[in-house]
Amino acid sequence: MASEPVARAVAEEVARWGAMRQTGVSLRYMMEFGARPTERTLLLAAQFLHKELPIRIARRALDLESLPFGLSTKPAILKVRDWYVESFRDIRSFPEVRNQEDELAFTQMIKMIRVRHTNVVPAIALGVQQLKKDLGGPKAFPPGIDEIHQFLDRFYMSRIGIRMLIGQHVALHDPDPEPGVIGLINTKMSPMTVARIASEDARAICMREYGSAPDVDIYGDPDFTFPYVPPHLHLMIFELLKNSLRAVQERYMNSDKHAPPVRIIVADGAEDVTIKISDEGGGIPRSGLSRIFTYLYSTAENPPDLDGHNEGVTMAGYGYGIPISRLYARYFGGDLQIISMEGYGTDAYLHLSRLGDSEEPLS
Amino acid sequence: MAAVTGEWRRAAMMASEPMARAVAEEVARWGSMKQTGVSLRYMMEFGLRPTPRNLLLSAQFLHRELPIRFARRALELQSLPFGLSSNPAILKVRDWYLESFRDIRYFPEVRNRDDELAFTQMINSVKVRHNNVVPTMASGVQQLKKQMCRKRKVPSGFDEIHEFLDRFYLSRIGIRMLIGQHVALHDPEPEPGVIGLINTRLSPIQVAQAASEDARAICLREYGSAPDINIYGDPNFTFPYVTQHLHLMLFELVKNSLRAVQERYMNSDKDIPPVRIIVADGEEDVTIKVSDEGGGIPRSGLPKIFTYLYSTAEYPPELDVPNEGAPMAGYGFGLPISRLYARYFGGDLQVISMEGYGTDAYLHLSRLGDSEEPLP
Repeated sequence: MASEPVARAVAEEVARWGAMRQTGVSLRYMMEFGARPTERTLLLAAQFLHKELPIRIARRALDLESLPFGLSTKPAILKVRDWYVESFRDIRSFPEVRNQEDELAFTQMIKMIRVRHTNVVPAIALGVQQLKKDLGGPKAFPPGIDEIHQFLDRFYMSRIGIRMLIGQHVALHDPDPEPGVIGLINTKMSPMTVARIASEDARAICMREYGSAPDVDIYGDPDFTFPYVPPHLHLMIFELLKNSLRAVQERYMNSDKHAPPVRIIVADGAEDVTIKISDEGGGIPRSGLSRIFTYLYSTAENPPDLDGHNEGVTMAGYGYGIPISRLYARYFGGDLQIISMEGYGTDAYLHLSRLGDSEEPLS
Repeated sequence: MAAVTGEWRRAAMMASEPMARAVAEEVARWGSMKQTGVSLRYMMEFGLRPTPRNLLLSAQFLHRELPIRFARRALELQSLPFGLSSNPAILKVRDWYLESFRDIRYFPEVRNRDDELAFTQMINSVKVRHNNVVPTMASGVQQLKKQMCRKRKVPSGFDEIHEFLDRFYLSRIGIRMLIGQHVALHDPEPEPGVIGLINTRLSPIQVAQAASEDARAICLREYGSAPDINIYGDPNFTFPYVTQHLHLMLFELVKNSLRAVQERYMNSDKDIPPVRIIVADGEEDVTIKVSDEGGGIPRSGLPKIFTYLYSTAEYPPELDVPNEGAPMAGYGFGLPISRLYARYFGGDLQVISMEGYGTDAYLHLSRLGDSEEPLP
């Protein structure tokens, strides 16, 4: 990094790779490909990633260098940019993957890259905080600041994709996978089971914070399963439930009325699995609804420890739970919609595509 | 008698070229003038004291405003894509708009009470002339759709037509609101709390109950039975709104829900789940949710329900035959037009579905009353 010519050479490489076309992969493809993880298929996968990951990482590095409103110069953003450039170099300088030995070493290397990037979300959140402070707070936001939302959506979506590709490849090396599991994908995932676990986890947090938690009732076919990535679904339901539980808790805390339960309904259709999370927590005014999907208006609860290990913090902390949940939903062709009835409560609809044909959204 | 005279007059005027050109110029001129929007709050405040002076001012405003709105729509009707403008049904509607433009434009200056009463009579008959605009337009658009399907034309150009219809019907809602409100203000004995067409103490629960009964009656007539409807909310809550509008919207939504549930459970021995209506009163909005477990709509099919001429009906009703009662499903104009009514006073209508389970429709009605009419 100290050497100028080297730095320039790297910058040129980054610019070149960042302009190359990305190749998307669908859930269905990942399942079919990973159904029989032989040495040969793992080798092919590694060779694909060896070409694809540098493109995706370089693209984001370029993005980070050209953010509007001076966001690129914020210390936290510079740190993230450096992580991306380092990872780009690690993969680019990795020799050709020709046999199983190479493949195992490659897998180790990309595993470490994933660890390096663990704290990207809180780091960017910190950068955005720094920008907000410099600008003088939301009231002084210049016009066009919404460009940052779009950047963050693209950026985080891309991160979901990179981590999915890496995670899937690493997981395929598991010598003893659970029946029905292909890498990170559970071909027989029961949404009811995931909903139950997520609701226990969310209630635990509510208990810890308020001393009590509203009930969560779950309706649906307990035998229904479909292929999906359980950690993704867990994260989305967990985030939505956290919000619902908090809303109901705050509304009924000091009331003698019994807190109405939060209701989860799991519906299996031909195209979609739809999960509705309904609460009677008082709702959000229509004028304030779009805010819950933004990054700029949320406040980080605790200053993130960028170099430390953030125990238990998922990608969706720092008030980013809803927008990031929506990215996860859209990643495999689904969506997240939230409708509110001011004075009554809020309904969140998680649509998960069953078809599995959607390619990763790449921008 | 007046109708025959009108026909003669129209034929005579149409036959006279210079006359026709002069009118066309007037229409072009007025059609490009700026429209003036009115808010619900303004209508209430203004109509609170319907003195002869206020009614005179109102008439003078309408005398200037209505020709602009009629002319604008007449111009649009003459420049539709895909040859729609030469469709007989569309031509009929265009003629109505031209006649009404002329009736108002050439009405003498409104200077006193007598003038004002005559003006009010006149705009009321204008309103009656336009009563069947929706089914007539529907007939024209459906003919076009059939033509396009036959020629296997890509219906992508239909977006333009949908946008036109949205603007057109929204404008019609506004024109009829302005006329209806003015006429109603002449009622010598209005109900307490009622200002023209606006009930300042409208109970949404009551309207929901009335609309539900009407919708269930239709379902009973068509299927021999109807699912239950449960309504939740504060029975004492009231707010200012136009009763007719809310009734129309709720009737449409409940009708759709009843139909979905009925079709789903008709040949089943399972218990029929009730349709649920929840009325929530917030500060900004009154939100009414109509929820059913009628099996839902696939996500890919959802945008279609807001297009004109999407319908689940097997046999769309005859348009030239007088409609004894509204059908359960027909031309698929119910939802898009309901949404226009909701948006007219600053609200909205959203429909979300859970494929395999059911559908939730959310009617947001703005309480603030400050929204000006949207003027396309």
